[in-house]
Amino acid sequence: MSTESQTFTEKYDLLGCIQCGRCTGGCPVTVRADLNVRRFVNDAYDEEKLDELARLADIWDCTACHTCAVRCPKGLKPLEVLIGLRSLIVESGKVEPTVRDALQSVLLEGNPWEKSRAARLDWMEGLDVPIADPEVPVENLFFVCCTIAYDPRVQSIAKNIIKILNKAGVDYAFLDESESCCGSEVFTLGEEGLFEMLVEDNTEYLNEYQAKRIVALSPHCFTTYKAHYPDLKSEVIHYTQFLDELLAEGKVTWKGDLQKKIVFHDPCYLGKQSGVYDEPRRLLKGIPGVELLEFERRRERSLCCEGGGGKMWVESESKKERLAETRIKDAKELGADIVAVACPFCVLTLEDAMKGLGYEEEMRVAEIMELLGEFVEA
Amino acid sequence: MKTFVCIKYVPDTSEAEVKVNPDGVSVDSSRFSFDINEADNYAVEESVLIKEDKGGEITVVSIGPKQSDVMIRMALAKGCDQAVRVEDDRIASHDPLMMAKVLSGAVKGQEFDLILVGCMASDDWHMSTGVAMAEELGINHASMVKKVELLDGKVRAHRELEGGLMEVVELELPAVLTIQTGINEPRYAPIRGIRQAQKKELKVVSLDDIEVDAASVGPDASGVILEQLYIPEVESAAEFIEGEPDEKAEKLASILVKGGLV
Repeated sequence: MSTESQTFTEKYDLLGCIQCGRCTGGCPVTVRADLNVRRFVNDAYDEEKLDELARLADIWDCTACHTCAVRCPKGLKPLEVLIGLRSLIVESGKVEPTVRDALQSVLLEGNPWEKSRAARLDWMEGLDVPIADPEVPVENLFFVCCTIAYDPRVQSIAKNIIKILNKAGVDYAFLDESESCCGSEVFTLGEEGLFEMLVEDNTEYLNEYQAKRIVALSPHCFTTYKAHYPDLKSEVIHYTQFLDELLAEGKVTWKGDLQKKIVFHDPCYLGKQSGVYDEPRRLLKGIPGVELLEFERRRERSLCCEGGGGKMWVESESKKERLAETRIKDAKELGADIVAVACPFCVLTLEDAMKGLGYEEEMRVAEIMELLGEFVEA
Repeated sequence: MKTFVCIKYVPDTSEAEVKVNPDGVSVDSSRFSFDINEADNYAVEESVLIKEDKGGEITVVSIGPKQSDVMIRMALAKGCDQAVRVEDDRIASHDPLMMAKVLSGAVKGQEFDLILVGCMASDDWHMSTGVAMAEELGINHASMVKKVELLDGKVRAHRELEGGLMEVVELELPAVLTIQTGINEPRYAPIRGIRQAQKKELKVVSLDDIEVDAASVGPDASGVILEQLYIPEVESAAEFIEGEPDEKAEKLASILVKGGLV
């Protein structure tokens, strides 16, 4: 984390850039927008130009997929230069109303969806869920994520895992309604002050629990905790890693079979940013009958769905084909029946694209937990 | 330009189910989220835009509990200069005339050019607090204002009327304007701004502090008696009255009389 005395150049190590073009050469957004991150890294060196650069609409096209960071031979994070420019706009208060409302909702209610904190556990109704107690040590403390807690389309991720946990006799607990946003999208939208506050508050809050590890249901929370919360006492893993362990221990019992061709879409926050590629594939292969296909662009080259980087609240000006549509078309060409993902944002963007393309009858977008909910005995 | 902007802390009832408490006259607010009233947020922005253009000073005035301080701090972060929050449980808060008396009490005796108030509050939808304040203070007012132009000693207010009409009126200052949503685009209050705004004064006062007689704004003084709150029943029955206008009027009047409504 930066200190106030750092210049923009120092903070983002702009002088470390050798302008090789690896970043722009891999940026998935360039096929549909004019964003040129290399130019921003170059121009931001001139501190007098920063305000002018921050006013360019291009800075909001970045999806924070991290392809540029993965490809950078100098280990820089070009995307964070764009986030830094966004923060100049956020500090002035002149952001899109959708961004304003999402950020304000995180401050007031602990989630970006403008939902009441009191309703955060509504999805648990009718389920037998142990709630964490700071006085009682717990092996696996589950962190739900705001989107999974409030969006009915993806609540099944949490509901299904509970059924599997109860059946497998795992020591686990969920947090009560005081669970707050991890700040993933707050960070990428450039609200530095709010993000710093969340890191401080969430670290203190989560460290109160005697959890051996925290299991995040969304790759956004998973990666944010790993990358930006240095003082968390508990190890943080993603649920696909956790279930992969259960599978290896023989604690997952399958029922029925799924005679379908499934292609797995690597979520940027799970793959590129955290290196989790094999666990979700092993889970999918485990389902009896499944034939697992692979995209040509997979693993660290996986195509972004454009759901990250705060893009849930910023509409692109480009009218060109969305990357999620490209992804769905690729899946159709492969002959996939199901596009499986392990991220709530990917579900929403890819399903939207699939419906927009009119493939609903022949194809399905499913979170891995949805499929496991159907084919694991619970 | 010295401006007062009045804001209210209201529940968001769009998501949570509204339940009436067993007392029959209050609502269970435990599952609501609270925020600044939407129209008041536009009033705050308009006051800041005026200050950015003409200079001056903005004072936020609000009646509400301690929890509403976060809303006031946000207004201060956006550019307002100081705030007064009236906290006193003797106020008949369901009556906009009583609220107007209290807000006016917080303003009285101080110099000002403008008072901006949201045109309506999203909890009770009375649409009358701002206008009642003007009456209470004996100054001009314009309601449902969608555009403000400041002239020398005057304000030109564009009022949004029924049927899409826009009425343009000129008022001598000081004046109260009730602000319609959509007049501007309210800005975001970044956390760092809110933290910096901690240095600005937020005075918490009682009715006694602002020299408002509690009896004059309490339930006994209010002409509004809250007898019963209930959730409207969903019904699909509708009767269409046929005939010439005078026949329709007669039939309608007789229905209202039979129903004991007039």
